[in-house]
Amino acid sequence: MPAVVSRRPSPIAWLIAPALLLFILFFVLPFAVMVAMSFFSSNPIGNPHAVVTTRHYQRFIEDNAGIFHDALWETLRIGLVTTVASLLIGYPLAHWMARMQSRLGHALALMAVITPLLTGIVVRTFAWMTILQDKGVINTTLISWGLIHKPLPLMYNEFGTVVALVHIYVPFMVLTLIGVIGRIDERFEQAARSLGAGRLRAFAEVTLPLSLPGILAGSLLVFALSISAYVTPSLMGGTNVLTLPMLIAQQVGTSFNPGFAGALGVILLAVSLVIVVAYNRILTRLSGEQGLA
Amino acid sequence: MTSATIKLDCVTKTFDGKVVAVDAVTLDIRAGEFFSLLGPSGCGKTTSLRMIAGFEMPDSGRVHVGGQDITDVPVHRRDMGMVFQSYALFPHRTVAENVAFGLRMRDVPRPEIAKRVAAALAQVALTGLEERRPGQLSGGQQQRVALARALVIEPRVLLCDEPLGALDRKLRQQMQFELKELQQRLGVTLVFVTHDQEEALAMSDRIAVMNKGRVEQVGAPTEIYERPRTRFVADFIGEINLLDDGPCPGALRPEKIRLVPVADARLEGTVETANFLGGATLYRVAAGGRTYLARETHSGERSPRAAGDAVGLAWNDTDVVPLES
Repeated sequence: MPAVVSRRPSPIAWLIAPALLLFILFFVLPFAVMVAMSFFSSNPIGNPHAVVTTRHYQRFIEDNAGIFHDALWETLRIGLVTTVASLLIGYPLAHWMARMQSRLGHALALMAVITPLLTGIVVRTFAWMTILQDKGVINTTLISWGLIHKPLPLMYNEFGTVVALVHIYVPFMVLTLIGVIGRIDERFEQAARSLGAGRLRAFAEVTLPLSLPGILAGSLLVFALSISAYVTPSLMGGTNVLTLPMLIAQQVGTSFNPGFAGALGVILLAVSLVIVVAYNRILTRLSGEQGLA
Repeated sequence: MTSATIKLDCVTKTFDGKVVAVDAVTLDIRAGEFFSLLGPSGCGKTTSLRMIAGFEMPDSGRVHVGGQDITDVPVHRRDMGMVFQSYALFPHRTVAENVAFGLRMRDVPRPEIAKRVAAALAQVALTGLEERRPGQLSGGQQQRVALARALVIEPRVLLCDEPLGALDRKLRQQMQFELKELQQRLGVTLVFVTHDQEEALAMSDRIAVMNKGRVEQVGAPTEIYERPRTRFVADFIGEINLLDDGPCPGALRPEKIRLVPVADARLEGTVETANFLGGATLYRVAAGGRTYLARETHSGERSPRAAGDAVGLAWNDTDVVPLES
């Protein structure tokens, strides 16, 4: 039987117009401009001699300065470690909250998760700096107890960057997971236990695979946010950490090379898309459950 | 399949420190018996079942299965099959994987798992649906998968929590027959939780009627129906005329009341409503300042009475069941 399709769009369809406009103006358009710029030798509007070229991409691939590949790798590494750490911290918390009987307890825990989001990223990063720096809370305490003699390198490196990023992005992971875990019927796990699975086995066989869509969504969210983070790696990483977003900002702000910046943006996007698709595939195959795509 | 006795010994369970769900319940369930826990919602029947299964720990009292105290044995070591309300089939697993689950947890070798899964599915007439997901099955088929999954581990005890509640009437009756037949064939001890008195009467060897966390009466279906001990049991099972105007309260089933000519009557009354039920008619008769329910079975010719007709009511005193006050 052929489906009956009404030709006239529902009047409600107009309500997505603002979202569509926003999406086109602030995502599609800038993205198109960025891609276009990455193929021009210089700004074609200001410079009539600009030519179409792939030299920005060649420059990245050849990497004569020896920093571009490292920056890409560092970006992805920070993204992956942050994602895994957020998942390991966020999943048990989300599971505990989703299964909580007490409404008050749930509300309080939710508040504790959401409240940090009300503070700006810059503020939270500075807070971590006062904790992790050489003269910060941890190092001065350990030194005064005589446990160490010189400060531990807790920041101006990848470690400090990841710590701050995890702190900032765990709420996103938790909020995504709570919804998914909360909708999994507890009786599935009980059925598994009645069939001879211990608590841990029942969790691993039933709840974990059923929460996979949440794990996927949460991981992708945190991964996307942390590979595009700029403020936190700049402040926490100091001169020792160089991620692609930092490099892009440099190219735009100090080197005035928007073409190369555009190429870096496209490369970061392409590489992370490949990783995301592979991740989705692997998890979906591991569990037999439906993935996101 | 071996079956086991179940004994609840003065078991009490309180939730949040105040709501008494199960109040000093003692039950002796025989091996191989179809035993129903019957009562309205909140009577403690499901909590009792969950304590047998091990999902709830009693505050006091002990649970014995097969003569062994299993109160402190964790759920996954109790070797009981359980069929949940709405089945709780694993949605991310196929029918075969669902049924195989319990065997996999027991580290049964693969070839034997395949053999036993096939046998279990054949037993519930589901051969051919092995690779389907639960979401692709009808309610009755899901019900059968749940049964196969619980029975394939050859449990000593099968626990069923309102397993037929989600099915429509026709299918429910069919599944009642199938479940009863399966239970008799396997000889497994089956504890069945339901709020549906017809279902309990139709299937059980014995029934425990529960109310407010306590067991009101335990007995065979005929005993529960014919000889209810308390007002609650009389009222909960079927229709009843409660005669509590005299010195000792009694209960009288509607089918024990005869509609007779006024001259022969113990009481004279007027028909208020007549509900035609197919094989019988249920009359509400106003007599002696109250309403009586009388069920007249249609054998031979029907002598229908309509609302407003004058009728006489008669019954034998031996049919009035005395109730504990």
